[in-house]
Amino acid sequence: MKFYVNARYLIVPTMSIIAILGILIGGAYAWVGVALFGLNTVIDTLTKDIHLPADFDDQGESYGTKAFQYGVMYFMLPVFIALQIALAYRIFQFTAATPLQVDLFYGIAYQSGISGINLIGAVLSSGLWAGLGIIYGHELSHNKKEGFLVSRLIMALSGASHFTYAHVYNHHLDLGHEDDPATAPRGRNIYAHAWLSHMGQSLFSYNLEEGRLNKQGKSTLNVDNRWILGYLYSLPSLVLFVWAGGLIGVAALFVVWVIANFLLEALNFMGHYGLIRTQGAVEHRHSWDNDSVFTSWFFIEIGRQCDHHVRGETYFWELDDVEGPNYGIGYFSLFVITLIPALFRRYVEKHLVNWDKNYATEDELAVAAKFS
Amino acid sequence: MFKIFKPSPTSYQVKLAGSDTEFSVQRGESLLSSALSAGVQWPFKCKVGSCGTCKCQLLEGKIKPQLDFSYVLDGPEIQQGYILACQTMLKSDLLVSLDLDK
Repeated sequence: MKFYVNARYLIVPTMSIIAILGILIGGAYAWVGVALFGLNTVIDTLTKDIHLPADFDDQGESYGTKAFQYGVMYFMLPVFIALQIALAYRIFQFTAATPLQVDLFYGIAYQSGISGINLIGAVLSSGLWAGLGIIYGHELSHNKKEGFLVSRLIMALSGASHFTYAHVYNHHLDLGHEDDPATAPRGRNIYAHAWLSHMGQSLFSYNLEEGRLNKQGKSTLNVDNRWILGYLYSLPSLVLFVWAGGLIGVAALFVVWVIANFLLEALNFMGHYGLIRTQGAVEHRHSWDNDSVFTSWFFIEIGRQCDHHVRGETYFWELDDVEGPNYGIGYFSLFVITLIPALFRRYVEKHLVNWDKNYATEDELAVAAKFS
Repeated sequence: MFKIFKPSPTSYQVKLAGSDTEFSVQRGESLLSSALSAGVQWPFKCKVGSCGTCKCQLLEGKIKPQLDFSYVLDGPEIQQGYILACQTMLKSDLLVSLDLDK
């Protein structure tokens, strides 16, 4: 049981490495990361009706092994760095017009040089897997000291280091309220939310640092400013891509960051769309659960939002179904629906009606009425 | 002399000033989670160090803060020894002051 519980969360590390190998082997394999994303959507949809509880032994102890799971999460930092280096290597070859030919690396055939179409595949693969990797940045943002720094560094690879502070000090505190940019109000589509939430969280992080530094009598323009420092953490990526391909490199990195941040904000969008909290503590009813089996394992239980927001200190492998609001499907399936705003509005309507009827307080219903 | 090789205790004791309340904190557990497990009605809301509801005043002992308290507590509070229980690991037995009526 211990092996099963720990091993089931290795889908993303395994697939991330496959995506990197795809870029390195080149040719059509550069698209492997995109293909895996599509495959995951199919698996997630086919298994949407399977929901499993968290696993505990007779004493109520989790089978999850903290040292192992932390080891994996920390290991993902060099994996995501390797993903960027692999893409930069291909961009370098493309801009240097390296001839397309099959070479051998210790007996393994790979394509030296890359065509424009396959470079697009490599860029999309990198963006998708950098974005999916944000689940580790999220988990570690709740876990102290060095874990928090690793979270910042993982997020910085996607130009989103501000997230770590905004998530803890803004999203968890102001969830469901208009002060939380990561909570999407009713009627907003995913594209508007991605921009507004990203910018709102960055602005919050800036204001947070400004307040902290001013209390200490320091200037906002200071190397102690963690908002500035967060963006400085992203500089090595920028330097790497400028070196690898000049403007093409910068454009590729921009696309990677846009995709990664879009996926991050899609998770925020799906996790709390249309839910309202007027006062008091965060409760289970202020989040949507997406805990079908594949989503749970793939996204290291980030879909158990209801439990996570009430027990934010709890390790992901201990999060459980708390019978809160539940979409009943997984993130991949729901993500596809959110991409078509009209379809999402139709899909989510019955869930919001159910929430208003069975979960909302009178104060929350009064706020909800303003959106109808 | 060989303090570095001395195993650290597996738990510490916490006493609330002005009351008979005392409970133990296992290594790796936060002050707040141990208090709640022991049945202490410790005020809390977010448990992630962002709301400040679980703050208390450290009167004696050593702690290991898990997050920077200065985002939530102001300068005078920090100087007076206020800490966030949800983000506090222990390095010794503690004596803390907590307003249980708030």
